[in-house]
Amino acid sequence: MPLLLGVFETPHRVVEVIGRLRNRGYEDLDVFSPAPFPEVENALIDPPSRVRLWTLIGGLAGVTTGFAMTIWMSLDWPIVVGGKALASIPPYVVIGFELTILFGGLLTLVGLAVHAGLPHGKFGKNDAGYSARFSAEDFGLTVRCKERDVVEVDALLRAFNAKEVSLVEP
Amino acid sequence: MTPPPAASVADMIRPIPVVADSEVNRDILAVMDRPTMPYWLLLGFLVVFVHAAGAVWVYQVYKGLGIAGYAHPIFWGVYIVTFVFWVGIAHAGTLISAILYLFRSKWRNAINRSAEAMTVFAVLTAAQFLGIHVGRIWKSYFILPYPNQRGLWVNFKSPLVWDTFAISTYGTISALFLFVGLIPDFAIARDRSTGWRKLLYTALALGWQGKSNQWKAWNRTVLHLSGLCTPLVLSVHSVVSWDFAMSIVPTWHATIFAPYFVAGAIFSGFAMVLTMMIPVRRIFGLEAYITDYHFDNMGKFILLTSLIVGYSYVMEFFIAWYSGNEFEQTAWWYRVFGPYWISTWTMLVCNTMIPQLLWFKRVRTHVPTLFAVSIFVNIGMWFERYVIIVIGLSHEYDPAVWGIYTPRPAELMILAGSFAFFAMFFVIFIKLFPVIAVSEMKELAIHRKSHAPEGAH
Repeated sequence: MPLLLGVFETPHRVVEVIGRLRNRGYEDLDVFSPAPFPEVENALIDPPSRVRLWTLIGGLAGVTTGFAMTIWMSLDWPIVVGGKALASIPPYVVIGFELTILFGGLLTLVGLAVHAGLPHGKFGKNDAGYSARFSAEDFGLTVRCKERDVVEVDALLRAFNAKEVSLVEP
Repeated sequence: MTPPPAASVADMIRPIPVVADSEVNRDILAVMDRPTMPYWLLLGFLVVFVHAAGAVWVYQVYKGLGIAGYAHPIFWGVYIVTFVFWVGIAHAGTLISAILYLFRSKWRNAINRSAEAMTVFAVLTAAQFLGIHVGRIWKSYFILPYPNQRGLWVNFKSPLVWDTFAISTYGTISALFLFVGLIPDFAIARDRSTGWRKLLYTALALGWQGKSNQWKAWNRTVLHLSGLCTPLVLSVHSVVSWDFAMSIVPTWHATIFAPYFVAGAIFSGFAMVLTMMIPVRRIFGLEAYITDYHFDNMGKFILLTSLIVGYSYVMEFFIAWYSGNEFEQTAWWYRVFGPYWISTWTMLVCNTMIPQLLWFKRVRTHVPTLFAVSIFVNIGMWFERYVIIVIGLSHEYDPAVWGIYTPRPAELMILAGSFAFFAMFFVIFIKLFPVIAVSEMKELAIHRKSHAPEGAH
């Protein structure tokens, strides 16, 4: 199926044209954006990012590991320190806290890799339509459509002030 | 709608024209251009200096800790002082990156990258000192809970074990935070470089193309890492302060230590960011990005934290008097008027008096003066840790265990080497990675551009 690329200057134009294209039934859309613009991302992807789940799982795993490890190790090699109980919770809060952050952070990174699809593509190869201008200041909107819709999409992109429209894959 | 004739579709296939690069990319990536001779000389000097200090350390490992000035009753000296100093320096990066991010302070965008890098390098420098201080470096892994034949575990009730967990978590998470922030910028560098740099940035960018799912996950990741880092940054120096506060040494055993250390850490961290960024801005002509407004704001932060630190000093003296505890009172008198009075007064002048100049906007926006103030704060904060650690240990309860400590040449050389070690990483970083968060600066630039045509401004 053909792939069209429209180049835009501002994020709000991209958001407008995405709305219009979706109304017309085009769903296979993607954007190359030079900087994070939540309005653009939300126009394409509805639910909040699932990365949050990874952080939660990591944090819970960390706090559990922190307390389980300290308590178990204290009981495994029982030696009384400073007249305190073998498994004394207050000092172990520090370890539990640090591991919550550590595991939470590491799993957040895994979440980023999973949900952002990183590493992406073959080494050194970019997706069709990507060019260095999208790591400058332009926005690229790609639309995959049936061959018979190419002209309509082309007109639509231009109607929303696309700087250029090109057919990157016939 | 009828499908277009084949010929017209074919006509539409044309190469995407090459367009002029954005100004932000050009200006910031220009910093990474081919290094000049002065750069190589500076880097060469730092590398040689680090190796010289490394040689002293090897000599110390060979001879033993006796060549340091450690003597009864003071076995925590310059190495622990310097460890705490560098952990403190590490705090500004996370504060700027995480806490100001959560507060949506956009001015942080110009300085967060360099501050994050300094955090990572400062933690790295600090971590060296744990190994240097313990002397028998080949046994330093004993501090980790690992399964061993004797079936014995570390003592989790010890603040030193907490410290290990806190510092290693902090190092890991701040490196991760720096890396996540760099991914989009690696992609920018990848698209504009050739040769080995292209290979390096292609590998590091992980195929980043700024697609919507990538930015969406990235935004969430940065938010969550900020949320995790904010309590982390507060916890790390609290835990470091507990290395002292959990003991019963007079002047150490105080509940004020955690907040007092955290404020001091932010204070010294901001000063170090200024000390490094003022020359970088000047040398690489980044005045358009790191403006006097940023320096002004940082000056205010330094002033605020100086006031907190000053308040803590006063409160410590007050409590020593108010407690009626003879040991505390003697120790505090000894601190100010005893043989170490120079250290104490250096600390007081540099940390509480000189920063008062920052009340004046003219000082906060006069770069040379600000630079001088930042240097004084760095000096003062190193002496603060010296005062707390060394003077505290030299005058405990029993006169039989009073003593004087003097740093020896080996310690001073390794101390100087730590500055070279930190600066070396930063100097390499400047030429290898974007020193300002390019995509975040661009976010501001595009926002300005998209509002401009409406004609309102």
